[in-house]
Amino acid sequence: MSQFLHSAGGVSLTDLLKDGSKHFSGIDEAVLKNIEACKKLSTITRTSIGPNGMNKMVINHLNKIFVTNDAATIVKEMEIVHPAAKLVAMSAKTQEEEIGDGTNLVVVLAGTLLEYAEDMLRQGLHCADIIAGYSKAIKAILQFIDNLEVKKCENARDEGQVSEALLSAIGAKQWGLEPFLAPLVAKACIQILPKDVKQFNVDNVRIIKIPGMSVHDSFLMKGFVMPRDSEGTIKHVQNAKIVLFGTEVDLSATETKGNVLIKSAEELMNYSKSEEEAMDKCVREIVEAGVNVLIAQSTISDMALHFCERNKLMVIKCPSKFEIARICKLTGATALARFGAPLPEEVGEADLVSVDEVGGTNCVTITRDSLEQTRVSTVVLRSSTANRLDDLQRAVEDGVNIYKQIVKDSRLVAGGGACELRLAAELKDLANKTPGLEQYAIRKFGEAMETIPRTLAENAGQDTTSTVSNLYAAHAAGNLNHGVNIEQAGTLDMVEAKIFDHLVTKKEAIRLSAEAAITVLRVDTIIMARQSGGPDPNRAPGD
Amino acid sequence: MATRATNLVNPDAEIVAASQCLQVNVAAARGLQSVLRTNLGPRGTLKMLVGGAGQIKITKDGNVLLHEMQIQHPTAMMIARAATAMDDEVGDGTTSSVLFTGELLKQAERYTSEGLHPRLITEGYDIAKDMVLEYLEAFKVEQPNIYNDRELLTNVVRTSLRTKLAAESADSMSDAVVDAMFSICEEGKPIDLHMVEVMEMQHKKGSDSRFINGMVLDHGSRHPDMPTYLENVHILTCNVSMEYEKTEISAGFYYSSAEEREKFVDSERKFTEEKVKQVIDFKRKVCKEGESFALINQKGIDPMALDMLAKEGIFALRRAKRRNMERLTLACGGMPVNSVDDIEVDMLGWAGRLREETLGEDKFTFVEDVKQGKSCTILIRGPNKHTIDQIKDAVRDGLRAVKSALEDKALVPGAGAFEVAAYRMLMRRKAAVSGRAKLGVEAFANAMLVVPKVLAENSGLDVQESIIRVEEEQERSDQAAGLDLDSGETFLPSTEGIWDSYTVKKQTLNLSTILATQLLLVDEVMKAGKAMGKSAANVAEED
Repeated sequence: MSQFLHSAGGVSLTDLLKDGSKHFSGIDEAVLKNIEACKKLSTITRTSIGPNGMNKMVINHLNKIFVTNDAATIVKEMEIVHPAAKLVAMSAKTQEEEIGDGTNLVVVLAGTLLEYAEDMLRQGLHCADIIAGYSKAIKAILQFIDNLEVKKCENARDEGQVSEALLSAIGAKQWGLEPFLAPLVAKACIQILPKDVKQFNVDNVRIIKIPGMSVHDSFLMKGFVMPRDSEGTIKHVQNAKIVLFGTEVDLSATETKGNVLIKSAEELMNYSKSEEEAMDKCVREIVEAGVNVLIAQSTISDMALHFCERNKLMVIKCPSKFEIARICKLTGATALARFGAPLPEEVGEADLVSVDEVGGTNCVTITRDSLEQTRVSTVVLRSSTANRLDDLQRAVEDGVNIYKQIVKDSRLVAGGGACELRLAAELKDLANKTPGLEQYAIRKFGEAMETIPRTLAENAGQDTTSTVSNLYAAHAAGNLNHGVNIEQAGTLDMVEAKIFDHLVTKKEAIRLSAEAAITVLRVDTIIMARQSGGPDPNRAPGD
Repeated sequence: MATRATNLVNPDAEIVAASQCLQVNVAAARGLQSVLRTNLGPRGTLKMLVGGAGQIKITKDGNVLLHEMQIQHPTAMMIARAATAMDDEVGDGTTSSVLFTGELLKQAERYTSEGLHPRLITEGYDIAKDMVLEYLEAFKVEQPNIYNDRELLTNVVRTSLRTKLAAESADSMSDAVVDAMFSICEEGKPIDLHMVEVMEMQHKKGSDSRFINGMVLDHGSRHPDMPTYLENVHILTCNVSMEYEKTEISAGFYYSSAEEREKFVDSERKFTEEKVKQVIDFKRKVCKEGESFALINQKGIDPMALDMLAKEGIFALRRAKRRNMERLTLACGGMPVNSVDDIEVDMLGWAGRLREETLGEDKFTFVEDVKQGKSCTILIRGPNKHTIDQIKDAVRDGLRAVKSALEDKALVPGAGAFEVAAYRMLMRRKAAVSGRAKLGVEAFANAMLVVPKVLAENSGLDVQESIIRVEEEQERSDQAAGLDLDSGETFLPSTEGIWDSYTVKKQTLNLSTILATQLLLVDEVMKAGKAMGKSAANVAEED
């Protein structure tokens, strides 16, 4: 018997809904619970912030192990279920997609903002006041942060300037390796920077991971590496002229079903012969066009391969159409839609196409070292284990992403928590000027900004409170660029130490975290449907 | 209790009868009301809905909420269905009609508990409803010039959107909605909202959503060498297959040598090539210096044909959606072409700009700055799915709000002005009603106040005081005064630009009264047997 027909007295929402759905509403049930979940999430990633951040070992549902301090990866692989924490995780994901770095800032700041919101709620402030205060604060920050520019990375083609700007982003992920990695990434990016800088595409910096050797043996190539072998016996071609086929390399077939009408053995012989001749002619035409390397996206028939070998044509198969597109970019070739001789302008060029064995795998490398600028560059990462390589890859990717942002907007702010501290001071100032209950929220937002220098100090094993107060003292004394010195206790001029953060990255991260926090605070009711695929709620256990 | 008649007929039936039955219905209606009441108005809070697979939806749109909530209680379901059906028609008013229905039942319960027969109350309700509808005719403000009054329309949309979105995005989306409406509507002709395409892209932030004078197609060209940006574009919209089509009958080729086969291949290709050549020749004929050509085809274009087109610098899209074809010709002009045999210049559409944007794996084609613009697009951007959904639902409602405003050529001042005025009117004219139906009229009058009351409550104002203040102001000034939710003071909604839709008001009144009347007159709820061993819950679902 369903109970709802008898519950005439008071009907709660759960009685109206399908069995198994849950519903939370009000401050205690919904808001504070949501805050709790987000806080938990940020506690996890907090210890990973900064150069001294700790690594996390995350094992996902496929039993794959990740050892990293990259918040984007941690949050992604953790498979968060709680809806509110999911909101924060989504903001982090957005940051990763739009900018490519600064995800930890999003998670930690959102968590801290909510933590302080909880304090205020417990003190009796209304959610609406907190939201109003936070909205005002974020507006002020977005304006004020533009004044905090300390340096511009003016020449995006200057290796020194660029690697300086990348130092802190890479250093936060791979502390100690950044003097080696930053110039490597800078060089890789500058090489492929097109004339119209807006066309810079992160995809054109390729990363190949090959286990073995040490990180310092990683190197940069002007060209393209594919971890596969060539089809024929020819493995090295200098001054390559390349033809690319987007189709299979075989004699063309009709769409309509074809039959060969053969009346005698002789005809059969002749038919095979005519096919061979046709193929021979085709391949010869290609070779006569000056081509010595053939790359095909689809299958290469045995007969075609045979004639290619005979004509000293190197044959490579490349099944991915994206890689074909990249080879086109690199060599200037056009992928042909039909097997046949190419026009001169459809032939691509490369200095060297060769198959080399690197760390036990055969790799096809296509290089164009003689050119100043290329369209594709490849960073070959070397290190001892696959996990380490993955982590290095994430650091390099973050670096490339930051470079992309620098190309768009070259403004930099002082790193090491200096910028956050100034924002905190600014907000406190604003709070004092704001009438009404909103000022509490604005002040708390300021305090939340302090979390970054605080966490940096904490992760470096310093006394957090004294570090932050020292920082305030330094700022009050006019040293506005002082940040946390993570190597020894005390403060340090970040501009002199050349530790910069990218302004837009920071701005977006703060904006996203505030948005996430506000969204979580705005929700006062959660209605959860029964989890699909779970046990039937109608059936009591043991039924 | 003696065995009831129904139980004799069907021993398994579940029965709730007489006064208890009324209680059940009222309790369900009030339960639903209590869920939705916090949503109402610009200051309403958000609800978070979590689906069975953990997908998140954040909303304060009553319609969305009722749709997604999986309601099971039969009475609540009836109310929810009716309210959402109204939303499909007029696009708004779901929350208010649920609140109003609930309130009508609640007011009725006061009298029935004192022994009044529900029939008498329903009679009073009918009389009161007719009076209020009559009063609405007098109260509404005629807007004969609405087609030319952009500001007024923007106000109408803004009033609607502010109840569903945060203030900032509501304001920017109102402009987009009005722009879209202006481009498709023509006085005297029926409005087809399908001509406004709502396209979503998951990137950037919600405030980057905008109106696009043209079309956005959610796919791109399939050839790497095709241009990605064109200006002054001639657009050929066609439905011509540019790939090899198999014959209807089963056909086969017979050949005896490779050359013969080659010939077959060529002749097969020729059929398609001819068509492509015609398009290319046509392009050469029409395109002058600085102009370009785009081909948007509903059928396929095979790689060879794409290659030919790309060489000519033509941008070609294949497999466009049918509905987009219709919109394209409306937006860009020209007409859809079904054969390329004799194409004329006047069959071409024109767009100022055409560009392709890549977003991760997905491609989007923007056809912008069109001349004719009888169809347009609202592009919704947002960092995550729930933001996009929220804006999308709101835009849908906004469009309907403008549509009904344009069709009615009349509006009703919002901010609770009408409800309070109707209450005063009913109280005045109550005396003219004879008999016990008077009580019904009084109950109806009290129920009218639920919307302004909840508005005040959600804004943290004192409910009784606010209502009385509005009442007194109306009494004093004899104008349609409403409640200013920011200050708690009274103001004139018509001068502040807060307008409600006339149709929505009318529908709400009709619908809620009928529903409440029906529910009041139910004296027995029967739930017959368990069908085929299903649980009671499943039976309710099938009702």
